[in-house]
Amino acid sequence: MSQAIQITRARRKNPMMGLTPLIDMIFLLLLFFLLGSDFVSYGQSRLAPPRGTGGNESAPQPAIVTLNKQGGLQWNGAPVQAENLAQKVTALVAEDETQLIVLMPAGEAEVQRVSDTLDLLVGAGAGSITLERDVFDIDLADF
Amino acid sequence: MKLKSQRREIKSIDLLPLINVVFLLILFVLIAGRPTTNHPQQIEVATSTQESDYAPAAFSIWLKQDDKFYFAEGEDVTLGEVSDWVKSAGIVEQGLPVELIADRRAHAKSLLAFRAAMAKAGVGEIRLKTQYDGSAP
Repeated sequence: MSQAIQITRARRKNPMMGLTPLIDMIFLLLLFFLLGSDFVSYGQSRLAPPRGTGGNESAPQPAIVTLNKQGGLQWNGAPVQAENLAQKVTALVAEDETQLIVLMPAGEAEVQRVSDTLDLLVGAGAGSITLERDVFDIDLADF
Repeated sequence: MKLKSQRREIKSIDLLPLINVVFLLILFVLIAGRPTTNHPQQIEVATSTQESDYAPAAFSIWLKQDDKFYFAEGEDVTLGEVSDWVKSAGIVEQGLPVELIADRRAHAKSLLAFRAAMAKAGVGEIRLKTQYDGSAP
């Protein structure tokens, strides 16, 4: 009589998969995106419009807006309040939407004030704004 | 009568809800956030009430509070060097816009000098980076 040797395999218990490394990785990913992301919404203001390709018609007379150091505004040389300036720009743009507005800030005016004025002009409907130096804001160091 | 207190077995904490919530957080940050911008933290860009689309330009330069221009962290550069770089990088030939990332506390004289230098170099379009502030009037 032959006797068969029966080898019984040791049954391995099916262990539960370790979740700790997975959780570690997820937290690392979360940290990475939290620290590497920016939730601020950015925009852009044009300091100079794109150059045109030219044309036969002469450009209309630009409107001059002057900004002084304290934030005071002038419209073609006359002092003006921000609300009135917006009305004037809106009226001008309604006649000609390509109307060029030249913003002349004082050299010592802060960039934030320039940005505020650009906002005001854009909000009033101006589509073509350019930044130029105020001819009366001369620095003798330039000579 | 003898009452037997039932022994509660200590079960392992179910981690699946935790993982679900963390995945949701990751998804939120991925969708609502955007990669960190290309300017250093010490530059506070001007706020703007006008919402406009932001398109990163091919060439950006920083204007810090000290009214000096920088390509990156390090030494400041002159506007002449900026103009030379703009010309050599082919920005003028391709008609690409130039972006100025300016600190809100810098002065307009630097903006004007940059505007004049870029115009002289042949750059047509200059964009000032702003931060949208919808809460402002």
